[in-house]
Amino acid sequence: MGEFIGLSIAGLSLGAIYAIAASGLVVTYTTSGVFNFAHGAVGMLMAFLYWQLRVQDHWSAPAALVLTLLVAAPALGLVLERGLISRLNVNDTGTMLIVTVAVMVALMGIAYVIWPPSIGRLLPMFFGPNGHVSVDGELVSYEELISIGLAIATALGLRLFFHNTRTGVAMRGVVDDRQLMAMNGRSPQVLNALSWMIGAGFGALAGILTASTYSLDVINLTLLILNAFAAAMLGRLRNLPLTFVGAVVLGLADAYVTGYVRLTGWLVELVPVLPTLFLFIVLLALPAVRLRAGRAAVSKAIHVPSAGASLRNGVVLVVVAALIAPFMHGIALGNVNEGAALGIGALSIVLLSGYGGQLSFAQYAFFGFGAWLFRVLGHGGNPWALLVAAGAGALIGALMALPALRLRGLELALSTLAFGTLAWYMFLSQPQIIGGGDVTIPRLHLPGLSLQNDRVNLVFLAVVFALLSAGVLAIRRSRFGRILVATRDSDTACATLGLNLRLTKVALFALASAIATFGGAIYGSTQMIVTNTDFEYVSSLFIVLIVYVWGISTPGGALAGGMSLALAPLVEVHIPVRFQALTYFMTGLGALTILATPEGIVPLVSERLRRLNPLIGLRSRHTRDMSVGNEQLLARVEVSRATPADA
Amino acid sequence: MRTPALELMDVRAGYGGIEVLHGVDLVVPDGSLVALLGPNGAGKTTTLQVVDGRLLPSAGCVHIGGRHVNGTPAQRLARAGVCSIPEGRGVFPNLSVDENLLMVTQLHDDLAPSEVRERAFARFPNLANRRRLLAGSLSGGEQQMLAMARAIVTDPALLLIDEPSMGLAPVVVDAIYDVLKHLTAEGMTVLLVEQFANKAMSIADYAAVMINGRISVFCEPADLENVVGAYLGVSA
Amino acid sequence: MPLLQTREVTVRFGGVRALDSVSLSADAGVVTGLIGPNGAGKTTLFNVVTGLQAPTSGHVLIDGANVTGYPVHRRARLGIARTFQRLELFGSLTVRENIQTAAEIHQLGSRRRSDVGALTDSILDRVGLDRYAGAAAHTLPTGLARLTELGRALATEPRLLLLDEPGSGLNSAESEQFARLLASLAAEGTAILLVEHDMDLVMQACETIHVLDFGLLVTSGTPDEVRADARVQLAYLGQSDTVSTQAGS
Repeated sequence: MGEFIGLSIAGLSLGAIYAIAASGLVVTYTTSGVFNFAHGAVGMLMAFLYWQLRVQDHWSAPAALVLTLLVAAPALGLVLERGLISRLNVNDTGTMLIVTVAVMVALMGIAYVIWPPSIGRLLPMFFGPNGHVSVDGELVSYEELISIGLAIATALGLRLFFHNTRTGVAMRGVVDDRQLMAMNGRSPQVLNALSWMIGAGFGALAGILTASTYSLDVINLTLLILNAFAAAMLGRLRNLPLTFVGAVVLGLADAYVTGYVRLTGWLVELVPVLPTLFLFIVLLALPAVRLRAGRAAVSKAIHVPSAGASLRNGVVLVVVAALIAPFMHGIALGNVNEGAALGIGALSIVLLSGYGGQLSFAQYAFFGFGAWLFRVLGHGGNPWALLVAAGAGALIGALMALPALRLRGLELALSTLAFGTLAWYMFLSQPQIIGGGDVTIPRLHLPGLSLQNDRVNLVFLAVVFALLSAGVLAIRRSRFGRILVATRDSDTACATLGLNLRLTKVALFALASAIATFGGAIYGSTQMIVTNTDFEYVSSLFIVLIVYVWGISTPGGALAGGMSLALAPLVEVHIPVRFQALTYFMTGLGALTILATPEGIVPLVSERLRRLNPLIGLRSRHTRDMSVGNEQLLARVEVSRATPADA
Repeated sequence: MRTPALELMDVRAGYGGIEVLHGVDLVVPDGSLVALLGPNGAGKTTTLQVVDGRLLPSAGCVHIGGRHVNGTPAQRLARAGVCSIPEGRGVFPNLSVDENLLMVTQLHDDLAPSEVRERAFARFPNLANRRRLLAGSLSGGEQQMLAMARAIVTDPALLLIDEPSMGLAPVVVDAIYDVLKHLTAEGMTVLLVEQFANKAMSIADYAAVMINGRISVFCEPADLENVVGAYLGVSA
Repeated sequence: MPLLQTREVTVRFGGVRALDSVSLSADAGVVTGLIGPNGAGKTTLFNVVTGLQAPTSGHVLIDGANVTGYPVHRRARLGIARTFQRLELFGSLTVRENIQTAAEIHQLGSRRRSDVGALTDSILDRVGLDRYAGAAAHTLPTGLARLTELGRALATEPRLLLLDEPGSGLNSAESEQFARLLASLAAEGTAILLVEHDMDLVMQACETIHVLDFGLLVTSGTPDEVRADARVQLAYLGQSDTVSTQAGS
């Protein structure tokens, strides 16, 4: 009995932390319509700030708490909302998600720079190690009781705030109708900013509680609060009572499974993925999204090179690779190889997100799966194993998509992240797979051509990338490609024209996953030694972010993205240790170029080049045809009687 | 002559580069009700949006009470006494009736909740026993009444109301118009956008007919016999 | 048998009845008008017919067969196509690609293979968009955008065409041309249901007109009958005191 009570209280206290974190997420999402991926990172940063004040600068706990929770966190929330979020289009879920991922990365970078991870840090418990009571023989720390008490206070406080204060009611109302709220005299912008300030405050509180109960660590804190997403999803990110229920269920499940169940074999890692499993199940149980008219995305046309042009670009790439390969050696050569391999896998993102408009955060699961398959099947570097890997990837991708078909946008993206997390813990990290330390993988062997030499391999990778990106571009120019872009622009219209959206989505996910898995096999063959940490699920967020920055709808974006990921460590060695984490920060900051160039850097540059270069002026005739001439437009507008508002 | 409550001078506005208002001139004299009529797509709603701050005009002047208000955000205009009730019922469907009513205290914090309820229920008694329901669960007519309550409770300097009879049963439309009549009798200035010409004419001081983004007729209701033609493409 | 029949279709949003037991039909080879003031439920009816909105009660019949439970794309394959009041173009594709893609989507669902390129060209020519074929759809002014949506719908070779305010954004010359286009489509046997607030266009193009008012079907008839009907005047002008009692009964 004593054990049960002890476990229950431990579970409730963990649930309490989830509940507080999730409340912040829900408040922000409900009012401003933005799902903040950086929520955990905000809490993490504030927990470090609290440590700085409390431990380093010897502030008293109340003073440090007040500054962190009531000043610093709301200020950070305000800056994020005013500086970034308010400049984005709320209906563009993809860009919105990516920007908050960028913020997450930038905040992690800031934390690493200010508080280098080389030093261990401990946050003192509020009442010291002896602060506990005895319940039926079990020791229950004050810390745990504080968490539970704070969660109850949060629940009651939010209930009071949202139902009994004018501002709280306005924050609920603004969700229904922003303009009507303005006509009632409350600025929707101010309410948005307020929701971010409150959200950041709760994130900070959860971060500090986590840090004082568990550990103060950048990654763990950032990701632990990710678990709160699961709780929030039970209330569809809007319902606070259900969110609290979800949090308590998660906390108790964690405690009881840890306390009562002996986990062996494949299930050893079950406890850390419980929230993810829960998230996945909740997402799958959500009712299907209804198709709606009037939400068509406004997207700009991006120039699609012709077959000839894409082959020419490919030849140029291979020639460049062949020219530089002989001069490269050592680590740099290895990293460029790695970058090219990642670029091949990243082509899947171009197809899936760039053309199809679907976000997936599970790419690294497929990379890892591909690498493992090549290890198992590619005896002596047998090239057929690559094709088998692609086929198996297609199958798994379709399977992943099947249950997620009813979802769209944010929910779909989260379900893929959950899938990726589960795949990493429950599959890739198993010792039988690639979880047992370094794993060797054979280098691909083509008949009559050895790729053992990294320079040869690099040229080979360039050929593969060139061919595959020509293939991806050919898909874009094909019927399937046009249909993909059409579903991205208006899936409603596609359905009313007779398109089976579910089949299309399955086909898209299968194809993209085949490319990702193929890329993973190539990656494995290129690296020759991998561990499960090479395929951590968080990396999926990074690669999508970076490809997005470079250009999500061009193969060039995929290559640049892969290279950026692989070459960053090369840059880091030239930076003093103290500032190495700056690359993190710069990545996050650089990602904010999305604000200026949503299409990405590569399309922007190539567009400029096309305009500059008279030699390829031939192609610019195309671009001129792309839009109605201004004069014609004006002429039409004059005679037009169009009135969207009254229509 | 007194300063008009509202004056639009050569106002142009549109959406995404497509101009809808091609130079609107309109005066709403203080204390009068002006009915803004015209076929669908003429730009009536757009005109209201320009006045209540939802849409920024691309050219021209909007004067409210003699003050130039181009570009003033909606919430500031609301504070200045402009009450705009948009088409399609201006209520928050996921808030309760009571919370919708008390939304007026966002601006008028001197109003006691009991006073707000008293004034609203005196005019619309059937809202009283629906206080705890979500506004979205009310019938269309009740939602329109709830939206109108904002004007009744706050006594705005300028009331803008967009198609209050849209999609409502005749009995309800009568009730809504009774309220409007009553409000104007008390001296409120109203700009009413309406498709139903006859009904609007019965209470209007002036009629403005909008066609193709311009005011084509501005006159007293009695002079406006031929409005029907504008709707059905025939003369009545 | 009419191509399209709705049987007592009711749609409720919260406490608001957007459609109240509406039964109407549209015949092959006929342009049928659907008119009524704003908020009368016209677009909601289109959504019910195309499957975007499930009715609270009632049925939709195509060729007499009940299709109420069919998903959106299956209805489209039965030959229903539509345009949207708030445009749903494929903004990043060109005008030509918009139409071509629609034809290709249509072909995915049927065994028939025809020449997509030729079909696309003929449609571009027919709706008068050949000059703008290479323009990116997101750059189009409303009138052209509406024509593109029409072209896209035609690419599925529909038997029933639902047009939601296609006339807004057209000038009077274009409007007349548009009426001729509708007539020629009907002459080929297409059933057309037209929601439009340009009454000149409606009276000119439609053989039968249904009038909706606050979710109720007020009347149906020929343009002359509808024009003369007091209840229509009522729906459009609001009740004068004399007729309001009739409407209330």
